[in-house]
Amino acid sequence: MENTGPGDATVTETPAAPAGPPGPVWHFLLRPRWLGWHLLMVACFWGMLWMGDWQFRRAMAGNALSWAYTFEWPLFAVFAVVFWAKTIRDEFRIRRGEMPDPRAAAEAQGLPAGVTGTEQVSVIQATPAAAAEGDEDEELSAYNAYLARLNAEVKDRGRWHGLR
Amino acid sequence: MEAAVLRYRVMAYVTGVVLVVLCFVGIPLQVAGHPAVANDVGVVHGILYIIYLAAAWLLARGLRLAVKPTVIMLLAGTVPVMTFIVERWVTRRFINPALAGEARPAAPVGR
Repeated sequence: MENTGPGDATVTETPAAPAGPPGPVWHFLLRPRWLGWHLLMVACFWGMLWMGDWQFRRAMAGNALSWAYTFEWPLFAVFAVVFWAKTIRDEFRIRRGEMPDPRAAAEAQGLPAGVTGTEQVSVIQATPAAAAEGDEDEELSAYNAYLARLNAEVKDRGRWHGLR
Repeated sequence: MEAAVLRYRVMAYVTGVVLVVLCFVGIPLQVAGHPAVANDVGVVHGILYIIYLAAAWLLARGLRLAVKPTVIMLLAGTVPVMTFIVERWVTRRFINPALAGEARPAAPVGR
């Protein structure tokens, strides 16, 4: 099936999954939320192929315009599969500790969960550090105010509740 | 990073404009009995949307976006006017913080 994540057959040991239940890493794929996503993906995949087939039948019936969509819909279906595979691969990397968990990082920093990475750390650190220094120039304090405003703006709004 | 943002932005606006033309010029003309505009613009939008998908996808990967914002970005290219709104939202919420972080790496203060 197209929703099988790469490498899920090979993972059998149990590294320290962040706050995960015991068992092989790939078991997260069987949780209800993930099963729902799998079903949705399968439905989308076949739906797109069906749309492509429908356009193909229209094209064969003489609608020249449908030829473009005949190729477009299968392309979208392939895209969905690639999207799905990459998402699952990322999730495996997070659970194996090869990649920082954006959810944990976001909660620790009060950042939107969609934003990750080491680059975000410096943004947040800049604000309190700037407050400690009394004599920064005007442009810099304006910049720091901008950062603080950005941080306040996104705070608590971007918490990720679902599939990463 | 800037290149990916620029690619995404250009595609968001081009795709958005073509989709607006399709929906607010092409479709009314089609209803009025002149389907030529809707047909041609429709195909153009179809092709542009594929490029938009690629650009938005690459940017979302680069920003390490979660699934939900990524899907919103990708689907925005199919809803009239939505690319403009989503582009602004993505810029404010994700691109600007990422660029700000990239511009000032380690040192907390000072320039």
